[in-house]
Amino acid sequence: MWHYQAPLRDMRFVIEEWLAAPADWQRMPAFAALDVELAAQVVEEAGRFAGGVLAPLNASGDRQGCRFDNGRVTTPDGFPAAYQAFVDGGWAALACAEEHGGQGLPQLLNAALLEMIYSTNHAWAMYPGIAHGAYECLRAHGTPELRERYLADIVSGEILPTMCLTEPQAGSDVGLLRSRAEPAADGSYRITGGKIFASGGEHDLTENILHLVLARLPDAPSGSRGISLFLVPKRLPDGRHNAVRCGGIEHKLGIRGSATCTLSFEQAEGWLLGEPHRGLAAMFVMMNSARLHVGLQGLGHAEAAWQNAAQYAAERRQMRAVRRPEGRAEAPADPIHYHPAMRRTLLELRTLTEGMRALGYWTAHLLDQAEQGADPALRAQAESRAQLLTPLVKAYFTEQGFRLASSALQVFGGYGYVQDYAVEQILRDSRIAMIYEGSNEIQANDLLLRKVLGDGGAALRGLLETFRAEAEAASTLPECGGFATALGQYCDRLATAAEGLAAAAAQDPERPYRAAGDFLRLLGLVALAFAWVRSARLAAGRADDPFYAGKLESAAFFFAYLLPEADHRLALIEASRQPLPFLPE
Amino acid sequence: MAILVIAEHDNAVLAAATLNTVTAARAIGGDIHVLVAGSGCAAVAESAAKIAGVAKVLVADDAACAHLLAENVAPLIAGLAKGYSHVLAPASTNGKNYLPRVAALLDVEQISEIVAVESADTFKRPIYAGNAIATVQSSAPIKVISVRATAFDAAAGEGGSASIEALAGAGEAGKSSFVGEELAKSDRPELTSARVVISGGRGLQSGENFGLLYALADKLGAAVGASRAAVDAGFAPNDMQVGQTGKIVAPDLYIAVGISGAIQHLAGMKDSKVIVAINKDAEAPIFQVADYGLVADLFEVLPELERAL
Amino acid sequence: MKILVTVKRVVDYNVKVRVKADNSAVDLANVKMAMNPFCEIAVEEAVRLKERGIASEIVAVSVGPAAAQEQLRTALALGADRALLIETDEELGSLAVAKLLKAVVDKEQPQLVITGKQAIDSDNNQTGQMLAALTGYAQGTFASKLEPAGDKLKVVREIDGGLQTLELALPAIVTTDLRLNEPRYASLPNIMKAKKKPLETVTPADLGVSVASTLKTLKVEAPAERQAGIKVGSVAELVEKLKNEAKVI
Repeated sequence: MWHYQAPLRDMRFVIEEWLAAPADWQRMPAFAALDVELAAQVVEEAGRFAGGVLAPLNASGDRQGCRFDNGRVTTPDGFPAAYQAFVDGGWAALACAEEHGGQGLPQLLNAALLEMIYSTNHAWAMYPGIAHGAYECLRAHGTPELRERYLADIVSGEILPTMCLTEPQAGSDVGLLRSRAEPAADGSYRITGGKIFASGGEHDLTENILHLVLARLPDAPSGSRGISLFLVPKRLPDGRHNAVRCGGIEHKLGIRGSATCTLSFEQAEGWLLGEPHRGLAAMFVMMNSARLHVGLQGLGHAEAAWQNAAQYAAERRQMRAVRRPEGRAEAPADPIHYHPAMRRTLLELRTLTEGMRALGYWTAHLLDQAEQGADPALRAQAESRAQLLTPLVKAYFTEQGFRLASSALQVFGGYGYVQDYAVEQILRDSRIAMIYEGSNEIQANDLLLRKVLGDGGAALRGLLETFRAEAEAASTLPECGGFATALGQYCDRLATAAEGLAAAAAQDPERPYRAAGDFLRLLGLVALAFAWVRSARLAAGRADDPFYAGKLESAAFFFAYLLPEADHRLALIEASRQPLPFLPE
Repeated sequence: MAILVIAEHDNAVLAAATLNTVTAARAIGGDIHVLVAGSGCAAVAESAAKIAGVAKVLVADDAACAHLLAENVAPLIAGLAKGYSHVLAPASTNGKNYLPRVAALLDVEQISEIVAVESADTFKRPIYAGNAIATVQSSAPIKVISVRATAFDAAAGEGGSASIEALAGAGEAGKSSFVGEELAKSDRPELTSARVVISGGRGLQSGENFGLLYALADKLGAAVGASRAAVDAGFAPNDMQVGQTGKIVAPDLYIAVGISGAIQHLAGMKDSKVIVAINKDAEAPIFQVADYGLVADLFEVLPELERAL
Repeated sequence: MKILVTVKRVVDYNVKVRVKADNSAVDLANVKMAMNPFCEIAVEEAVRLKERGIASEIVAVSVGPAAAQEQLRTALALGADRALLIETDEELGSLAVAKLLKAVVDKEQPQLVITGKQAIDSDNNQTGQMLAALTGYAQGTFASKLEPAGDKLKVVREIDGGLQTLELALPAIVTTDLRLNEPRYASLPNIMKAKKKPLETVTPADLGVSVASTLKTLKVEAPAERQAGIKVGSVAELVEKLKNEAKVI
């Protein structure tokens, strides 16, 4: 049976030791009242909620799916009640400002909450999924009237927002979209067009739904510079139904409890958010946190995969192992986690999951520092670093989430391929995260072309300095000296590769695009190396505690078995000199 | 050294758990006296006097003892206890109710739910819902002990000829009063004392399907239980839950139907003498504790089993 | 009325505990700890009585190590008004705990004390009854329903084979059974508010209570493992085995 236990011990390690976040909170006026105990209690109760309320609906929601009938969507049994419990518990408003009715807690704690929600029920999590982003967007770009009308209801969970971007011909390229908006006499707009892939575009969790719709004004320039953002409620302030209709829901590989809707707008009433033609800029305030959250989906899937594989491998007995742990008697068949191949897989699951947790929470913590830091220079630095890490977290974590779900399924053998253990559901649910919110290929281009080469490598150099400083700090400890040396070497090689790509781009502008995917994976591995050097440094000298002993073992495993993939990625970046032929038209 | 055993009864009939408790007392060794506290309980005293190995039966026949209210019977037992080395009661809901009150009145610690007697002062008892067995030694002048009846064989209910001695009643403490009782009307035995228990899990798929278990239970004279998963899913009420946080059962025969065998459930039934598991998942952990496992679709097998019995 | 509710820090009920190799105790290193499930029910019941306007103040008490503050904070987040930790690193028996609680009852003078029926570590099922003996109060153990009326309290109790209803004179001690209620999840705003609620710490010595014990644990062992039996191929074979081999039907 699928099970979930919130990884509270490791979460506390990352928050309290790896990030030492409580000390930073003391320096941020907004979080000065937050201490270690309170943060730990928030995370523990969030875990209790996720495990107790959301986890039991995961498999049933997948099997039941959503039902569509004449424009209405019925979500799986238990989803509306779970949403009500989520809202009543105040979890929806964790990181919203207190002035709007939120709890004013850091993004870091929200990241922990989201990881657990994604581990326990990704499909359900899609409904409140963009609420926080919509809150940020409305707060930054809404007129005082719109903020007055909707902000508090988004924070309280009374209204759920959706994002309506994609059209049949406009996927990654939103510049191709055709939906139109015409100004009306009263200052509002009439929106007309068809949208697809709108998650939660229609559902039975809330009375009202607030659609954030990208559309063109009559005088709009073509392409992505001619797109404006509109706020279009399902139900208008006077109670009338707006001219928005759900035409159907998709039948999908995974997240089947999430209603992925086709929506048609027929002269629907709405209001402009932000400047005309600057819709993408208005949406941008949502981007960093939204992409981080998708990355956390990858982390959540990896954690669920790891826990379930670890438990199964401890119980399932097959064949006699070559070696057994000391003191374990011979048996006709050993638990499969004695077998080296399974140990490799399980250690990879554990090491990558825990490493990603450190990096993902770090990114969330940087967003807090960028917003709430006292020193403007440090705020700017945190903002730039978060922007650099965001595409990495989104693409690397979601790729690992899917890959690790597959590894976990392999541990289950045939039982993984059938529905009973629900590990196949993790595999199916995790796959979408590589696609939506900017496909992983778009992320790789964003990382290399915009975030690394775009500023002449400045942000990357800053990041590598942080990595090297960690290597320096760890270099004197006997347990981690070797790890520190390796981290330093790979920082150098990564810097050289980036410089090489920058130089080559002048002659061959397509070159960085050919190398972008491998560059992203290389940076992912070097960032994990950093995460494990710091974890090992914190664990050094404490091996008598099994938790820290495990950290040292995982670090050693990472440097021996996983980091060598970086050589492979460096070789592929080198290989990208070779032009790619075009395919027959 | 003499041992006082508190009888379990309903004023009419001596409950079997008393016989198991007498066996535990015999393992400690010494004269065994049985206290029957109740109201109009002469027939119970007669039965107690016939238990093999009992030397004396004390009867406190008093309206105040009718329902074994702890406020009334604890002072009575504590008063008697001073003449004994050990006071034993079955770990029934009655025993669990009044006995700690007796111990505190005597200013001694109680030893709860022993499953084995090592010596007159050393006993084994399960802790952590039976996931560990502690061996504890008591230096208290009077050892107050509750006994898990299922862990001891029953003493012979016939053959003894103890004297019966009437005691003055306890009197009303005036703290509590009995209002009413609602005993399960079912002809099925009570879950924790049933000889046969049939439990259903999530595999039953609905509350209605528990009807299949009831039909079979009536055939076997069995009680019906449920796993936590089945209770959580709303298939069965809370009081049917067998497991770490529910009822602990140890019947002669336990039939687990559509139960995977989560650790919490195993904690509540693994001391059963014979365990049968019926589950279509051959890997379900329940098979690791089952004496007889049948890998099959329960919806096919249950009617067949009912016909075969 | 004022309600005193007790809270014990125990190993989380989902954790499969293991016995230490030297058989001295159960291994609790790095094991997740939580509030005893029956104590959660006790806290929930107190909060419901307050929400119904029957209780005026809820005081949560725990006896345990400094870390038990976590469970008291949870009780505060669930709705207790203030908390008291009687701090000790010793594992106390139920009698010692009852004596400590008696000292708190003497000071606080609650009308009602609600405790869990048992802790899922020691499985003693004694503390509430012992506290009732020491205070001389009435006891309503294994409660599945509470109905206060003036200076009386009606308690429905889970007994073998059914339910029993008693009327208790207040003040009284009640111990909770599973069916009494379904505990809520702490809400985030209430977790934040709990931070500002008072949590006092005292020691057994402060209360003038001796916690000496007459009970010694000699060893702790894993229970005998049950061996998997055989798989039968049919209902007929199963019935035959139960009749002739196991002789249980």
